[in-house]
Amino acid sequence: MASLPKRIIKETERLASDPVPGIGAEPHEDNLRYFAVTIEGPKESPYEDGIFELELYLPDDYPMEAPKVRFLTRIYHPNIDRLGRICLDVLKNNWSPALQIRTVLLSIQALLASPNPNDPLANDVAEDWIKNEELAISKAREWTTLYAEKK
Amino acid sequence: MKVDVEEVHSVFAWTWHIPKDNKDGSLQADDDDDVCGICRASYNATCPSCKYPGDECSLVVGECNHNFHVHCIYRWLDTTTSKGLCPMCRQLFQLKRGLAINDSQLEKFRELQLKKRTSVAGEFADEDDEEAIARAVAQQNQAEVDDQGDVIMDQGLVVR
Repeated sequence: MASLPKRIIKETERLASDPVPGIGAEPHEDNLRYFAVTIEGPKESPYEDGIFELELYLPDDYPMEAPKVRFLTRIYHPNIDRLGRICLDVLKNNWSPALQIRTVLLSIQALLASPNPNDPLANDVAEDWIKNEELAISKAREWTTLYAEKK
Repeated sequence: MKVDVEEVHSVFAWTWHIPKDNKDGSLQADDDDDVCGICRASYNATCPSCKYPGDECSLVVGECNHNFHVHCIYRWLDTTTSKGLCPMCRQLFQLKRGLAINDSQLEKFRELQLKKRTSVAGEFADEDDEEAIARAVAQQNQAEVDDQGDVIMDQGLVVR
């Protein structure tokens, strides 16, 4: 395997020395491009009581290509499907090499704070969300207690 | 005391002369100041694929006043995701005119632009080349509008 680009080393170091509040990211020992990530649910969102696990992978072409990120913890959210895949513009066609692991994870945390049912990935969840937001939010809370780690 | 000079070793240091334009005060925070926004290595160091800094791995300055190692920005603009945009400000990335540092790269970037346009234009292969390119460019521009979250109808109408 080719050696790790300096940029990835720098980012990893900074994630450890100056972590983003509410977000953890640690590389695997045997693959430094593969990170175990935790994101705390944002305050005043249905996810606020939970800590969610994700995996993040930096493809060979990173930073020309966006990191691949997926939720491992089940979550009830219109832009995250049951496989944990995330519908977020900066992970797809709005990626820029000026973005970093930390900014991407912040965007994901922001997505938890403001679900967007008009651009759904999990269609059934989005439908619920549009039909009866209150009910959907209480279901998201329920799933948080059920699947996410307690804060 | 008498000093005899036996040998002289001269040592030189160099840095890129980076034209600063602080009019809009938009340049990044201190710790990001002198690093390439793509590889995050210092401007005076090389991009990740080079061994020796200097003319072989030079800087370029964008019309938007964002600087990158020429190899870094070239690789980015060569991807389809880039849509030709600057990684920092998402404006169309163009080399700033009238700067010596950019001059030797102008041709290379022009070729890249052309290549990108014709590769998009490939979809209209039956048509007159020039017209195809014009349409491809229009389509690219529309794709940019797309990304700003507008709804695009089948006929290609933009509805806000």
